[in-house]
Amino acid sequence: MRRTHGYLAVLAVLLPVVASAAEPGGESRGLPQFDPTHFPSQIFWLVVFFALLYWLFTRKALPRLTEILEERQDRIAADLDRASQLRREAEEAYARYERMLDEARGRAHEALVRAQERIARETAERTAELERVTQARIREAEAEIARFRDRALTELGEVAAEIVQAATSRLAGLEITPEEARAAVARAVEGGGSRP
Amino acid sequence: MASPLEQFAIEPIVRITVPDLGLDLSFTNSSLWMGIAVACSYGLVMAGTRQRALVPGRLQALVELAYEFVAGMVRENAGREGMRYFPWIFTLFMFVLFGNLLGIIPGAFTFTSHIIVTFTLAIGVFLGTTAVGFYIHGLRFLTFFVPSGAPKIMLPLLVPIEILSYCFRPISLSIRLFVNMMAGHTMLKIFVGFAVALGILFGWLPFSIIVALNGFEIVVAFLQAYIFTILTCLYLHDAIHLH
Repeated sequence: MRRTHGYLAVLAVLLPVVASAAEPGGESRGLPQFDPTHFPSQIFWLVVFFALLYWLFTRKALPRLTEILEERQDRIAADLDRASQLRREAEEAYARYERMLDEARGRAHEALVRAQERIARETAERTAELERVTQARIREAEAEIARFRDRALTELGEVAAEIVQAATSRLAGLEITPEEARAAVARAVEGGGSRP
Repeated sequence: MASPLEQFAIEPIVRITVPDLGLDLSFTNSSLWMGIAVACSYGLVMAGTRQRALVPGRLQALVELAYEFVAGMVRENAGREGMRYFPWIFTLFMFVLFGNLLGIIPGAFTFTSHIIVTFTLAIGVFLGTTAVGFYIHGLRFLTFFVPSGAPKIMLPLLVPIEILSYCFRPISLSIRLFVNMMAGHTMLKIFVGFAVALGILFGWLPFSIIVALNGFEIVVAFLQAYIFTILTCLYLHDAIHLH
């Protein structure tokens, strides 16, 4: 109830205010907007100020503004261009690096293969050389052994002939020539037996 | 108590008359606020672009925002060719916007709340876009009034309607802005009257409404400037592209 009274009080105060507000003032004759007295002045000054603003904007403000915006646009575009160019360069460098790496790897492999081949070849050569030298030495040694044996055999025949000669002169008192003694030894040797 | 319509009264500051023509071209409070709007909008753009910063500061960002906003509006509604007329549209937008915004300041005069001002602007738009249409298309611009695809028998009826609706454009354009600004300001003044009449005891109630209305009026100021400009762009589109 008290609230309703409050509202009523507000209304009571408001009503005359609304009434006085809605009522046009004493001296005003309707809306000032429809009073044609000032139409020429309004149009004149509107045209003047609008033209002034247009002139000011086109002469100074807008060129400056578009310049700033274009500059930024250009800058951004240039930066993007540069970024893409750098990226391309980086990619190229990477490709070059990869290629170089591949080449180096290939060269290293080749060198390795060549080294292995050379080592194998040298080893084979040296082995062959060693073989040859060894064979030669063996042959030499064999030849020497044969020579020694021959000489030993020859000398043995001589000694035997001398022994035969000496023995014959001592035991049988026969004087035989060394040729006869040697022949006798040879016969004995050929006969395969130790007895002549 | 002053009438809520008193704020729209025009008071001459410097009386100028052209006796030969019988014209009264007095510099009035309305003219003064037009001048202030010009100074403020030009000052804002100049102050905002003074730094020429690559990375804009607050003021420059605001100016650039206004530029991009209007440029986007022209591009989207009038097409790329419409950008030739961008300075006109930008001037129009800034002038109307500052007229609306400055009018909210208590004690200021809102020149956009005067039908003769909005009508002159609208007539300027109307004549300008029509001139652009004739300039680009010559007499072929008249085909704009012939709806494409309509049966020939209907044309005697449709063409006058088209012409009539075309001629009503400046009227609707000017009345929309004028009424919006006048209604808002009248309402504000009425609530101000309440606040004063109710005094300290109950005055806070209409005062809080005034605060809310002020915020609303700022929105309306932007919105009406936007609508005025975008309709201009659409008219420009018609003139350039013929539908």
